[in-house]
Amino acid sequence: MEIRLHGRGGQGGVTCAKILAAVYARLGLNVQTFGDYASERSGAPVRAYTRVSEDPITNRNKVYHPDHLLVLDPTLLGKEVVAGLVAGGLLLVNSTDSPEALQQRFPGFRLAVVDATGIARKHKIGTRSVVIVNTTIAGAFVRAMGISLEVLERAYQELGFFSNFPAAKEAYDLVAISEPEGEPIPDGAGPAGGVPVEALTDHQISQPSNLQTGSWRTQMPEYVDHLAPCNAWCPAGNDVIGFVQAAIRKSVQDASHVLGRSTPLAATCGRVCPAPCMEGCNRAEYDGAVNIRGLERWIADQKPVAQSERAELEQPKRFAVLGGGPAGLAAAYELAREGHRVVIFEGEKKLGGVLRTGIPEYRLPRPVLDQEVQGILDLGVEVQSGKFLAAEDMPNLLREFDGLIVATGLQKLRSLSIPGNDLDGVQQGIHFLHRLNLEGGIRLRGHVVVLGGGNTAMDCARSALRCGAEKVTVAYRRTEKEMPAIREEIEEAHHEGIHFLYQRQPVALHGDGRVKSLVLAEVEMGEPDDSGRRRPIVTERTEAIACDAVLLALGQSADFDLLPEAWKLQEGRLYAGEKALPAFGAGDLATGDGTVTHAIGSGRRSAGLLLQAVLAEEEAAPGRPIQVFERPDRSKAVPITDIRLDHFARSPASKEASLPAEERIRTFEEVNRGLPDSMESHRCFSCGHCTECDTCLVYCPEGIVHRRGTGYEVDYAFCKGCGICVEECPRKAMEMVPTTCPSN
Amino acid sequence: MSAQSHGNGAYHMPIELISANHAAAKAATLAGRANRNARGFGGGVYPITPQTECIELLCRQEFDKGKIVRVESEHSAMAVCIGVSLSGARAFTASASNGLAYMAENVVAASYYRLPILMMAVNRTLGPPWNIWVDHGDTLMLRDTGWMQIYCENNQEVLDSVLLGYRLAEDPRVLLPVMICQDAFVLSHTMMLTDIPEQEQVDAFLPELDLPHRVAHQAVTLGGLDFPHETEVHRIQHHKATKNVPEVYRECQDAFEKAFGRRPPDRVVPYRMDDAEVVLVSMGTTTSTARKVVDAAREKGLAVGSLGVRMLRPFPEDLLRTWLQGKEKIGVLDRDLSPGVGGILWSELRGVVGGDRTVQNYVLGMGGGDVLPEHLQKVLDDLLARNCAGEPELMEVA
Repeated sequence: MEIRLHGRGGQGGVTCAKILAAVYARLGLNVQTFGDYASERSGAPVRAYTRVSEDPITNRNKVYHPDHLLVLDPTLLGKEVVAGLVAGGLLLVNSTDSPEALQQRFPGFRLAVVDATGIARKHKIGTRSVVIVNTTIAGAFVRAMGISLEVLERAYQELGFFSNFPAAKEAYDLVAISEPEGEPIPDGAGPAGGVPVEALTDHQISQPSNLQTGSWRTQMPEYVDHLAPCNAWCPAGNDVIGFVQAAIRKSVQDASHVLGRSTPLAATCGRVCPAPCMEGCNRAEYDGAVNIRGLERWIADQKPVAQSERAELEQPKRFAVLGGGPAGLAAAYELAREGHRVVIFEGEKKLGGVLRTGIPEYRLPRPVLDQEVQGILDLGVEVQSGKFLAAEDMPNLLREFDGLIVATGLQKLRSLSIPGNDLDGVQQGIHFLHRLNLEGGIRLRGHVVVLGGGNTAMDCARSALRCGAEKVTVAYRRTEKEMPAIREEIEEAHHEGIHFLYQRQPVALHGDGRVKSLVLAEVEMGEPDDSGRRRPIVTERTEAIACDAVLLALGQSADFDLLPEAWKLQEGRLYAGEKALPAFGAGDLATGDGTVTHAIGSGRRSAGLLLQAVLAEEEAAPGRPIQVFERPDRSKAVPITDIRLDHFARSPASKEASLPAEERIRTFEEVNRGLPDSMESHRCFSCGHCTECDTCLVYCPEGIVHRRGTGYEVDYAFCKGCGICVEECPRKAMEMVPTTCPSN
Repeated sequence: MSAQSHGNGAYHMPIELISANHAAAKAATLAGRANRNARGFGGGVYPITPQTECIELLCRQEFDKGKIVRVESEHSAMAVCIGVSLSGARAFTASASNGLAYMAENVVAASYYRLPILMMAVNRTLGPPWNIWVDHGDTLMLRDTGWMQIYCENNQEVLDSVLLGYRLAEDPRVLLPVMICQDAFVLSHTMMLTDIPEQEQVDAFLPELDLPHRVAHQAVTLGGLDFPHETEVHRIQHHKATKNVPEVYRECQDAFEKAFGRRPPDRVVPYRMDDAEVVLVSMGTTTSTARKVVDAAREKGLAVGSLGVRMLRPFPEDLLRTWLQGKEKIGVLDRDLSPGVGGILWSELRGVVGGDRTVQNYVLGMGGGDVLPEHLQKVLDDLLARNCAGEPELMEVA
């Protein structure tokens, strides 16, 4: 029995022929299998052959009269391909057509049809650029030949193709077979005519090719932007890759402008953000994440990001924003730039919320915050500060304004219900920081113990040291690995000489009026809880440590007493009973995520939702269409496996300079001195975004990728769809798509 | 792939569906490991179509003693083999076509140093213009370099010939390098079920190499100036060594059969020769096709036979003379051309057979044309119709 396969270079036809041979070898027969090799590469028509016999095979020729024929690419189907197939033989075609449709063109054969490309694509079989159909169509073949699927399964196990077996099984199930009807049309093809051979001595001049090899392709490359992980990870929705690339390819001004499109607080975030973008960064696994936070700060310090352009509306709305923290500021920035009037109500004297009351100056100098707040106010945002609103003020505000954003943060503090918690010297860390940041001049002495492991705990500990404490200890009930504080904060605290006690739970405080000691119980780590962190189990083993002050940093929660009793917050929106109000929660109040960047993203999103809700009631929505910020789907981000790492030399990340530890613990001067320049941006892989690096142009074996303005153009008349440009693209700025070549 | 039991029942040799390129690489690996307790194994390799698959597989193998060196050219590949072999280790390389042309200087050196290096050559057309398909012109270009040359007809024969080739080359009565040749694509890239012997079997078949003139602790000068009287002696020694090959080859066949349960073919492979009056002589895979035409002719009552020339160097004059004695019409099929002369096999054979007989040359399948039974039927018809030989027939089959 002789089998011939027709496919295109890159479809795996030769391997397919080998699979068929392996199947028959398993059935105890002699086999021979080989391809037709030539100088053509991807996309060129290729043939492969399999011979099967009970006797030893001594035939060294190609197959001219196959008993069965497989066609891996329907565009090849023609009388030349079918030529020689014996009457009644199997003609198995990879196609979306029905067998009946093909029966008319090719009568007299047993027709089998399966959409192997579709199945293989679904099962993601192939290289990262090109779908490969060989292992799939083999499933259809064994079905058509009445061979049991188990034989193929075992063959795949031996050949190392087992992961492709589900696709083969699907093809086995889906192949449509129709029995032969009529007689084959004689192919009438005489001996191959061939091209006349020119004598070498005649020195003929080659004519330009009129062979449009673009008709050979089954897939084509396209320049497509893909989601970069930094953008997917940024809770604020910053175009991270956009500003980093702008810093390289354009100017600081442009980079600052990209940032200002989504955040008014880049200089702030560039200092205090936990930088989820850097966790997502593909470079993290390679040689360390790009120092995105450092770059954001560098850019925003050079060129403040807040944008001054605001839309001009004939009838702007009036919105009230409750709370001048990062969520409220971001919402106000968004609403003001849309052309609306905004009033921020803030209980403290100055805007900034926790940025001003909670974060110490050595992390965020106040002139930086003041400048960014001013950028927002410059859009015409009004402020009413110095008075905390209460529940009874809310209905009035609703009447007075077209809508509300409630971004009052986490006002409720978790306290400690253990004996002695009312002793002098025991206080909430937040209150300590609030007083320190707004009034200053606090002096501490002796041994200060901070209870907790979050950023507030780090801020308390490091501030306590700067206020004169001789020794500061942080006691945390889980392990260091599980501390929620920003890694760098913990490291810096270590450098400054803060002591850490892990797996300790406070059980009592002792003193006579004033705290003198703290009793800590040892904690063992149990099974992970819902948050994925291991549950602490408090033991009987305790120890008492002498101390002079205790700061509680045990967490905060939202205070809904601010809302009228009948109001409730549901999926970010406020309701009075069942009635949806033109009011949305934002920031920690709504999400409790607890970082500035989350608050900014939430503020942006709430502003968009509010605008949508308010303007939906009007006939014609004025101004530009409202875009509600949605957090991108991280699973769609370019994975590191799609980055061609060999294009990138390893180079460590640039770190910011910092004030020496012994010097900084005596002052509230900013510890982190920032990056010296923006060179770090050159480490960006630019995941999913073309940088015009010319790799596609250089690697195209056909020389048909050309520069065109900014970007490239593929001459699809000659593109064979080999996928090399996509394979070689260092950053997945291209992908293979189903071909749209009209000649197919 | 699957394990099958063989005649002697002592071993279960795995049978794998592999190309002849991989068969050669696996054989070289087994032979290399068989020398692990002596001076080990090594070689220099450089890729060229259609041999690349062979060295790719070889480079993925691990050797307890020795290594494969990836070099920048065929010339260096053979130079590494010379160094490996001179140190007393077993050496292997592979090449083809213009790669062999570039290697030629060191091919000669390997032989004149009397080093039992084994080279797997995939026969490919010499360019320009460029052509990657089968043609015997490349190894025939190296016909007179003092190497032994064996041309194979199927995948199993490639594997077996590599193993046999080492034993033959390393025999102290021979000490000559050997080329194991196979047809491009027709064998090199064609996958067939192939018996792969176990390492213990190969260990038993291949003695550890003990090269008498290996470079050891004593400093020696190699390839210095040879005066005429010295060269005469060296050439005569070299020539005499080739005369030992028939006997040693036969011993190798016996040993191989004992070790692996199958007998490698003779230096010249006869088919239906006993009462034949007309004979087709060929090399490589064309011989398989010639046998089909012989069978068809026999069915018509014609006394036709075939001879496959498996070993071209040393030229198997003894066997050819025996087999062709009294045969009136001899057709010689060449997949090569010495321009101005004709086929090379034919021009060699003319010296063996007396001038009174019809020894007609047919040159066909150059550049990789698929030589079909129909083509050889035409050859046979032409031969049968002749009364005397004429000019070589240069045929087009593609």
